[in-house]
Amino acid sequence: MGMKLKRVAAAGAATVLGLTLAACGGGSSDDGGGSGNNADAVKGGTLRYLQHFPFESSDPQRIYYGVQLGNWRRVLYRGLLAFPMSEDPEVATTPVPDLATDTGTASEGGKVWSFTLKDGVKWEDGSDITCEDVQYGTSRVFANDVIIGGPNYTLSYVDVEDYPGPYKATPEQQAAFEDAVSCDGKTITFRFNKPWADFPQAVAGMMMTDPYKKSFDEGDRSKWKVLSNGPYKIESGTWDKNKGATLVRNPEYDPATDDPETLRLALPDTIEWTIDPSDTAGELFNDRLIQDTGDDQYAITTARVAPPQMPKIVGPVEDRYQNVLSPYNSYLVPNAKRITDVKVREALAVALNLNDYVKALGGEAMGEPGETIVNPSVSGAQDNPAFANDNDNDGDPEAAKALLQEAGVKLPYPIKLGYQKSPTTDKAMAIIKEGWDAAGFKVELEGLSDTYYDVIAQPDKDMDVMWAGWGADWPSMMTVLPPLFDSRPNISSTTCGNDYGCYQSEEFEALVDEAANSDNTEDQIVALQEADKVLGETYAYIPLEITKFNWLHGSKVTGFTTTPASNSYPEIGLIGVAD
Amino acid sequence: MEKFLTVDDLKVHFPTPDGVVKATDGLSFGLDRGKTLGIVGESGSGKSVSSSAILGLHRGTSARVSGSIRLDGTDLLAISNQEMRRLRGKDVAMIFQDPLSALHPYYSVGNQIAEAYRVHHAVSRKEARTRVVDMLARVGIPQPDRRYDAYPHQFSGGMRQRAMIAMSLINDPSLIIADEPTTALDVTVQAQILDLLQDLQNEFNTAVIIITHDLGVVAEMADDVLVMYAGRAVEYGPVTEVLTHPEMPYTWGLLSSVPDVTADTSKRMVPIPGNPPSLLNPPPGCPFNPRCVHRHKVPGDLCRTELPALIPGNRGEDHLKRCHLSNPEMIYETEVVPQFDPALAEER
Amino acid sequence: MWAYAARRVIIGLLLLLTLSFVTFVLFFAAPVDQAKYACGKICNEDQIAVTEKALGYDKPVHEQWGGFIKGIAVGRDFPVDPELRAAAPDIVTHCAAPCFGYSHNNAKTVNELVAAAAPTSMSLAMVAVVMWLAGGVTLGILAAVTKGTILDRGIVGLTLIAYAFPTFFIGVFFLKYVVIKWEVLPYPKYVTIEDAGVMAWFTNLLLPGFTLALVFLASYVRMTRAFVLESMGEDYIRTATAKGLAARKVLFKHGLRAALTPLVTMTGLDFATLLGGAIITESVFAYPGLGLLTVQSSNAWDLPTIIGVVVLAGGFVVVANIVVDIAYAFIDPRVRLG
Repeated sequence: MGMKLKRVAAAGAATVLGLTLAACGGGSSDDGGGSGNNADAVKGGTLRYLQHFPFESSDPQRIYYGVQLGNWRRVLYRGLLAFPMSEDPEVATTPVPDLATDTGTASEGGKVWSFTLKDGVKWEDGSDITCEDVQYGTSRVFANDVIIGGPNYTLSYVDVEDYPGPYKATPEQQAAFEDAVSCDGKTITFRFNKPWADFPQAVAGMMMTDPYKKSFDEGDRSKWKVLSNGPYKIESGTWDKNKGATLVRNPEYDPATDDPETLRLALPDTIEWTIDPSDTAGELFNDRLIQDTGDDQYAITTARVAPPQMPKIVGPVEDRYQNVLSPYNSYLVPNAKRITDVKVREALAVALNLNDYVKALGGEAMGEPGETIVNPSVSGAQDNPAFANDNDNDGDPEAAKALLQEAGVKLPYPIKLGYQKSPTTDKAMAIIKEGWDAAGFKVELEGLSDTYYDVIAQPDKDMDVMWAGWGADWPSMMTVLPPLFDSRPNISSTTCGNDYGCYQSEEFEALVDEAANSDNTEDQIVALQEADKVLGETYAYIPLEITKFNWLHGSKVTGFTTTPASNSYPEIGLIGVAD
Repeated sequence: MEKFLTVDDLKVHFPTPDGVVKATDGLSFGLDRGKTLGIVGESGSGKSVSSSAILGLHRGTSARVSGSIRLDGTDLLAISNQEMRRLRGKDVAMIFQDPLSALHPYYSVGNQIAEAYRVHHAVSRKEARTRVVDMLARVGIPQPDRRYDAYPHQFSGGMRQRAMIAMSLINDPSLIIADEPTTALDVTVQAQILDLLQDLQNEFNTAVIIITHDLGVVAEMADDVLVMYAGRAVEYGPVTEVLTHPEMPYTWGLLSSVPDVTADTSKRMVPIPGNPPSLLNPPPGCPFNPRCVHRHKVPGDLCRTELPALIPGNRGEDHLKRCHLSNPEMIYETEVVPQFDPALAEER
Repeated sequence: MWAYAARRVIIGLLLLLTLSFVTFVLFFAAPVDQAKYACGKICNEDQIAVTEKALGYDKPVHEQWGGFIKGIAVGRDFPVDPELRAAAPDIVTHCAAPCFGYSHNNAKTVNELVAAAAPTSMSLAMVAVVMWLAGGVTLGILAAVTKGTILDRGIVGLTLIAYAFPTFFIGVFFLKYVVIKWEVLPYPKYVTIEDAGVMAWFTNLLLPGFTLALVFLASYVRMTRAFVLESMGEDYIRTATAKGLAARKVLFKHGLRAALTPLVTMTGLDFATLLGGAIITESVFAYPGLGLLTVQSSNAWDLPTIIGVVVLAGGFVVVANIVVDIAYAFIDPRVRLG
């Protein structure tokens, strides 16, 4: 479940609020689940999708926002595989065939994967989707100078050296790539330099291996063009960054090649997808949904209900409301270079009052205390025992103080805590400071703005503890633990990358290697669960909360629900409008 | 018989948050056609305020105007705004002190004069222009047809004042009020302008009120003179009479403080001591008493307790003065003149 | 006159050159790795280096600025990497002079972006300027002629209150209440005249235009009031009255002529500033003008677009200054001939 928490968080303040807390997810709708009723679902009509931020691109190889990956898989871009539309995380995180005939065949210990395309799958221009299209799409990701942005995990897996992408490649380089990602009729074979057990999840969740028609490619200028192969198409062929587009039915799409019940019902005839990139759009969309008049009765939105609007969610409005866990977690990272004593880091974890922290964020509708950095929607997620001794999340300053005395450090122990500034985080960080000060720390808060993540990536920063957030790119711990704590891809002389604490552990990295080299996801999960334990024992991170999403929809919207596959955003594949 | 212009007990009072400012307080005078009245006094003595009242320029402000101003039998304080507007510029015209600021910088001089004509005469632009060009020529502006389109800042000071005079005469008014018409001008130009004014007055038989602080101007231009102090007339009479036999110490002060470059070096300027009184809280008794060096010659404390009436003195019915002194003529001859003009004292 | 104008133009151009250079320097002074930002969250150093080269950010600042200036003078081809252009001519974008650059972020030339956004800002600025001038001058005159009365104090006070509220707040208030709650107006969204007609164009601009106008209304009311009072105290007003002109004519022909002249300067400069984009209003109403473009490009560290809008906005102000000075010569004869 892809999401670009980090880049999103670096955008404008109000957008950050909207997106940071956005994500894939839990799917456990603990309130008002009654709105996900499909009984009155009918085909036809116009669904209105109100979006409060612009996408970064409409080019499959450049799409990285979780909501766009999840939604566009349903309406515009089919993949070799896809995640089912299910509220059950187990089902929703297990890929099923989409353009491919099956979920792929692995060989050579997970280093080689093959998929065969179905017959009759077509682009919106009527041409067949070919193996070469998949090969070409995969190759584009390598061109970091043309297809700038977007996920590029495949670069470190595909067994090819120095391939610069299809635009600049010499014939030899291109041939080498086509050896590694090869076509045989309708069968595409990916040859990797190491095992990739969770590759099917990556294929379903990301669009790095989606087909792309070479004759349609204009390099950077393809950024906003859309050549659909899904049930809808964009009439003009171009997505307007700041306005969106109208999606109409794609006559070349053949449901017979698809499994609509599982992957996309495509109920509305038209989807008016409107972008309003204003700072206040999210709040105003929800004002409109609360009001529920005119076209807004047929509307859904990407914007979560803001805490001040919660009191208005009563009576009939409550029937159109859902509160679900998101795929986003926030956590604290001790700076391993500055706090070398594990006991001190443990004291930080023990003293933390997460219940009050969540209250400061807006209460239980906004989040719930986390017991690990791994989101519940990720396969193999389980509580980390290292974070159990915190008095049921109320914090235990006394025990923390004892730990500090045990460590023999001079009290009060100074801590500079860095975080991304907003009125809400100011309040929440004050709660953390209170608990830590009570335990014998002396906390200095440092709220930073837009450039926050760039600052905390610096190796020589003077912060002792940093706030951060993360969401898995696909529901595998491989997209959580290694990207955040493996020093090898992260740390260089100039940066600590996403390993903000500059954490380094041979024991952890050995377990990561074990997981990376396993040929099946079961073994991979076991190794990564061990790896998380190592992180816990050394307090490489301290979990804060699992963010929750609050959704409203119009009264004429049917089948409203969120799934892990939709990254806990509205599952557009199931949603229709009433007559 | 009533004079052409008769001002009777004119009061112009301005209410302010601190009290009432009595800028003009009971002023009376008269003026016939073809005659000139000079009103003299220091700044703030009420000269301009009084003459503005004739044109109704205090209408629409907070000023309270009472008494009567009759022009050719019409009470100007009683007529409607509309009637007053028709009268302004037509029957009564005004010439202002600083022609640069009194003319609008954005409109050509000719236009501004033509506007004054057309507001009272239903004529075409072209006819108005012809009339204005004639008038510009009449006031001595060379190449009037070309200068018509020039802007005020392109005129010299003297030319501008000639243009102002042209504007005031454009409708053949029966009364012209000239408020310090030469103060802003060079001395040489002053004389030309005064001559022009006098010629035109003779030609059109206009009544003229000339407001000035310069007794020299009065001596040259006026038939009658009215000396004002603190909003009241303190001496009033024919120019020849008042200037040669002044009976009020304030007038003496004015005479003593006139510089005269033509006179011999024995003449000295003697400034009036002290400052003009506050119009908000005028001193009790004679308003001039705090500055009057002859106060002690009045028996008792009369100068400080009683306002003297404006009444004829020893020199005849048409020479009025407001002073408690019983023998002003003697004091002037023996004490005042020798001080500022020993030669004149000798001669007398 | 011509020499003066030429000198003004040259100084203006030098200002714009400096402005663009300073923007370059500031951009790279920010503690952000722009290439890393563009590349994405899991890019390694090699990949970031490739992206950096593609965006031209690997070159020294002065060289990048030189490229920008060259683009303006003779045009430019993108991507900037010549090797890549040679290898893949199909993906080359030619940007003819005066080329303001190419925004990878928007996949358009900055010229295209600016050309698309400028009409929005101009529409908004036009509607706003008409509103605040009509309102500000009318109310200012009314306040001046009723000086000291309740009406005067009411006008000055109310416009000051409107001014005291942040634009952001007013915009959101209008949207929340006038549009969503009371449904007085449809939700405003920018439409072009050619797409939807003048009526729809104008109706949609009412709220954002009014919101923007409110920013300026108070100061224009106060300026107009002060200028009218000052002008009405001038000697030439007394002259006009003494001529026998009606009070109305004295006010409108003689009083306002002088009073409104300084407003021409203010209006010209304010209007020019808004042509460069009304950042807050456009952001609140999501009007895709230069203001929104500025915000979005700043948030995305999109240097070419930032430079483009900064230079364009600066250009508007420079041109407006010259135009206002020339206009002044037509309005005030003392300037024209003096």
